[in-house]
Amino acid sequence: MTVATGDVGLLEGERRSLRGWWAEHQRLRRFLGHGGVLLSFAWVLLMIVFALFAPLIAPHDPNAQNLAETNAGISAGHWIGADDLGRDVFSRLIYGAQSSMQVTFETVGLALVLALLIGLVAGFRGGWLDFLLMRGADAGLAFPPLVLALAVVAVLGTSVNDTSFALAIVFTPGFARFIRGQTLAIREESFVEASTSIGTPPTRIVLVRILPNVMTGLVVGIAIALGSAVLAESGLAFLGLGPPPPAASWGDMLQEAYNTSLFTHPWSLVPAGLTIALTVLAFNTIGDSLRDTLSGATPRSRRQRGVKRQRGITAVVRPAQPIPAPAAQAEPDEPERGGAGPALLEVRDLSVEFQTDTGRVRVVDGVSFDVGEGKIVGLVGESGSGKTVSSLAVLRLLSSPPAQIVGGSIRFNGRDLLDIEFDEMRRIRGRDIAMVFQDPLASLDPSFTIGYQLIEAIRLHENVTRAAARDRAAKLLEGVHIPDPSQRLSAYPHQLSGGMRQRVMIAMALSCHPRLLIADEPTTALDVTVQAQIVELLCELREKEDLAVLFVTHDLALISELSDEIIVMYAGQVVEHSPTAELFGRPRHPYTAALLAASPGIRTEADSPVLIAGQVPQAGQFPSGCRFHPRCAYAEDACRTAAIDLTIAGPDRQSRCRRVEELTLAGVGSEVAIRLGADPVGAP
Amino acid sequence: MGRLVLRSLLSIIPVLLIVSFAIFLLLALVPGDPAVTLAGGLTATPAEIARVRAQLHLNDPLMVQYWHWLTAAVRGNLGTSISTGQSVGSQIAARFPVTFGLVVASAIIALVVGVPLGIVSGVRPGGSADSGARSFSTLGLAVPSFWLAILLVSVFAVHWRIFPSTGYTAISASFTGWLKDVTLPAITLGVGVGATLARQLRASLIDALDTPYVRTAWAKGGTRRSVLLRHAFKNASMPVVTVFGVQIGYLLGGAVIVEQIFSFPGLGTYMLSGITDHDLPVVQGVAIIFVLFQMAMSLLVDISYGYLNPKVRVA
Repeated sequence: MTVATGDVGLLEGERRSLRGWWAEHQRLRRFLGHGGVLLSFAWVLLMIVFALFAPLIAPHDPNAQNLAETNAGISAGHWIGADDLGRDVFSRLIYGAQSSMQVTFETVGLALVLALLIGLVAGFRGGWLDFLLMRGADAGLAFPPLVLALAVVAVLGTSVNDTSFALAIVFTPGFARFIRGQTLAIREESFVEASTSIGTPPTRIVLVRILPNVMTGLVVGIAIALGSAVLAESGLAFLGLGPPPPAASWGDMLQEAYNTSLFTHPWSLVPAGLTIALTVLAFNTIGDSLRDTLSGATPRSRRQRGVKRQRGITAVVRPAQPIPAPAAQAEPDEPERGGAGPALLEVRDLSVEFQTDTGRVRVVDGVSFDVGEGKIVGLVGESGSGKTVSSLAVLRLLSSPPAQIVGGSIRFNGRDLLDIEFDEMRRIRGRDIAMVFQDPLASLDPSFTIGYQLIEAIRLHENVTRAAARDRAAKLLEGVHIPDPSQRLSAYPHQLSGGMRQRVMIAMALSCHPRLLIADEPTTALDVTVQAQIVELLCELREKEDLAVLFVTHDLALISELSDEIIVMYAGQVVEHSPTAELFGRPRHPYTAALLAASPGIRTEADSPVLIAGQVPQAGQFPSGCRFHPRCAYAEDACRTAAIDLTIAGPDRQSRCRRVEELTLAGVGSEVAIRLGADPVGAP
Repeated sequence: MGRLVLRSLLSIIPVLLIVSFAIFLLLALVPGDPAVTLAGGLTATPAEIARVRAQLHLNDPLMVQYWHWLTAAVRGNLGTSISTGQSVGSQIAARFPVTFGLVVASAIIALVVGVPLGIVSGVRPGGSADSGARSFSTLGLAVPSFWLAILLVSVFAVHWRIFPSTGYTAISASFTGWLKDVTLPAITLGVGVGATLARQLRASLIDALDTPYVRTAWAKGGTRRSVLLRHAFKNASMPVVTVFGVQIGYLLGGAVIVEQIFSFPGLGTYMLSGITDHDLPVVQGVAIIFVLFQMAMSLLVDISYGYLNPKVRVA
C-alpha cells in the first residue's frame, strides 16, 4: 500500500465508516418499520410540496376576502371552510406552509453552519479559542430560548429572513456544544491521529474525517430541532411577530381565529393548530425513530412478547406437576444422599428460558442439585455455563421478561419456591436465603449510605426500631472486620474500597442470620490479595453462623479449599457432580478434567495450564448429542448424536459422559492435593 | 455542599458578563443612531436627543458605555422606558411576582403530571398504562402551548365557564382568585414540560430497574414499594432533575406567550409591549431579568441534584 504525503489512504476510519454505511442500510428497513415514520415523512413531504408549489395547489387566493362566505362551513368550494373574512382556510394553510417551512429549514440550516464552524474550530483547535467560543455558547444557553429569539427580533424586525436568523441564534449554542464534544472525542481516535502523523492538512482532516462522523450523531438533533423550529416560528407569528400581513402563516391564522371567533365559531381554532401540531409530531417521530435506530434499541413491545411481566419475581410457567414418585423408586437424576432426610435446598430439573429477538432460548436445562444443612457446595463452570442463572433462579431474582422458569422445582425447607407468590418470596429473601453478588460497587445502591442499606435489610424482616437496627448494623460491620463501624455507617459505597464494599455486602447478607447463603462469584471483581481476605472471612462466618453456602465460581482452585461437594455445569446442564476430594482426585467427565488442566491455580499431572480449545456455545446454539463434544478430546461418533443422561459414576457421584466407564481422566496429583489442602490460597 | 453552591455561583459570573454585554449590544445593533432611538425615534426633538446622548455617555467608547450601563444595572437602574417614561426596574419589580407565580405553578403541574406518568410507564413498559402515558407525552411535546391555551379557554372558560378566560388576580389580593386565574395558564405551560419529564423518568426508571443494586434490593427482601419507589426512583430521578433544569428555560420562554394569551401583567407581556413599541430599554431589562431568573432556577436544580447524588455532594 502506498500512502503519498497528504493523500488520505484507506485507514481504519474509512473502513469503519464503510462498514457503518452498510450497517445503516440494514438499519434503514428497521428505521422505516417504526410505527408512523413513513407517515411522518409523507406529512413533512406534503408540507414541503405545499410550500414550494402553493400557487399551483391552493384552490383560492389566500387573501381573497368574500364577506358573503364569512365563517362558511365545509363545502366543495372551501374544503375546510372559510375564516371570519371569508378567506379560504385550506388555501391559507397551504400558503402558511411557505413561511413555516422556509423559516424552519433556514433556521436549522443556518444554525448548523454556524455551529459546525464554532464546534469544529473549538474542538479541533482547543486552547483559548475553545474557551472563548464555549463561554459564548454558555451565554446563549443562559437565555430562555424564546426570550433570546424575541430580543433578536426586537432589533432585527419580523421578516422571514430575520425570523430565521433570530431562531438560528437560539439553536446554534446547543448544536455547537454537541459538535465540539464529538470533535474532541473523534480527534483522540487512532485514525485521526494516523492522518495527522502522515501529514494530512488539518482542514482536510476536519472535512474528510471528523465532519462525517459528527454528522451521524447530529441527525437526531436536527430532526428534533426542525420540530422545535416549527413551534417557534408559529409561536412568534402567533404573538404578532411573524411575517407581516397579508402573508398567511399558521400562527397568525390561529391568532386571528382566537381574536375573532373564540366565542362564535370554536371549530375555527382547530385547522391551523392541528396543522402545526401534526408537523411538529412528524419531525419528533422521525427524530425518535432515528435515535432508537442509531442506538440499536429494538422496540420494547417486540422484545418482550410472550413473557408475562412480573416485577421482582421470576415468572414460572411449568407444566402441571407430576405427583411425586414414591421414594423407593430412585430416579437417575436424584443425587445420592445415603438415606438422609431432605436437604435444606433441593433443586430438581430446573429449566430456565430467556426470551430473545430470535425466540426463546433455554439457558438452564434440567439442573438438579442439593445443598445440605451447613454444607458448602461449589457450582462451577465457564461463563455462559448457566451457573449464575441457576443461582439467581433459586431466589427467583431473574427479571421477567426476559427470563421465565419453565420447569422443575426448588424446595427450600420442604417448600417449593416456584409455587409461592411475591410476598412470601420476599420474606424468604434476606431472612432465610441471602445473596452476595459479584461486583460490590454496582450491587450497592450508590445513592444511599451503607448504614441506610443495612438498616433497611434488618427492618424489612424484623420489627425493630431504627436505633436498634443501627446498633445492629454497626455490630454487623464489626463482624466483617470493618474498622470504625459506627462511623462507616454514614459512608456512601463510592467512598469505600472494593474489599470493604464486599464486606458490607456480606454483612448485609448475614444481617438476618440466613440459613443459606448464595455467593455468586463474590471475589471475581476484587484484587487477588483482597480475594483471599474475603474467602477467609466467608469461611470464618460460616463456622460462626453455621451457614449452608452455594458458592458459584469459575475458580476451581478457590473452591477446592472450601467446598464439600462440587457441581460442574456446562452449556446449561450439570455435567458432573461429586464430593470435592474425589472430583479433584479423579474427574469423571472430560470437561471437568479440562477445567482442572486449565486452572492456573492448580497443578495437575499435565503440569502447565492447558487451555480448553473452542468456546462455550451460545445458548440456543447448543450442539446435538453431548454438548461438550466439539471441544472434547475423547468424543466419538456416538457422542455427536444422542443426548446424554446424567448417570451414576460412583458413590455420591454422577457424570454426563457416555464413556465414563472406559475413560481414566487425569486429576490433581495426590501430593499436590495435599499441598493445596495444607496451604490455603487465602493464607498471607 | 456549600462548596458546590459556591462553585456554581462562580461559574455563573463569566457567563453573566457575556450575556450582559450581548444584551447591551442590542442597542448598538439597531440600525440608526441609538440616541435617536432611545429619545423616541423620529419624533424626538434635538434637545431630547442631546440629553439622552449625554445621559448614556453615548459619545464615549463602547466599552466605557457598557461599563456605565452595567454598573447602573447592578444598582437596579435599568433605564427608563421610552414609551411610558417609567423606570424599567420598578416595572420589572412590580411584574416579577406575576411571572414567578405562574412559573412555579407550571413547574408544580409539570411534576404532578410528569412524575406519576413516568413511574407508571417506567415500571411496566409495554403495558396499557405505558402506551397511554407515552401517547400523552408524545402529544404533549407536539401540541403548541398557544394552541393548547386556546383550546383550554374554549372548553373550560367559554363552554363550561369553570375558569376565567383571561385576567389576573394578585396572590396578595385573593389566593383563590389567583388560583382560579392561574390554573389554565399553568396547565398550558406545565403539560409540555411534564411530558418531557415523564419520558425521561420512564427511560431512566427502565435503566435503573435493570441494575445490580436494584437486584440487591430485591434479594434482601425489599417490598415492591421500597425497591421501586426508594431505590429505583431515587436513582432514576437524577437525570430527570437535569432535564428539568433544561426545561426551565422553556417554561420561562413559554410564559411570555401564555401571559399574552391570558392577559397577565407579567414580564412576558412587558417584553412584548417593549418589542411592539420599539422600547429597547424595556427589552434589555426584561431579557437580563429572564437570564438571571433562569440562572437562579438552574442553581436550585444543581443544588437538588447535589442532594440526590452523593458523589457530587461529598466529592
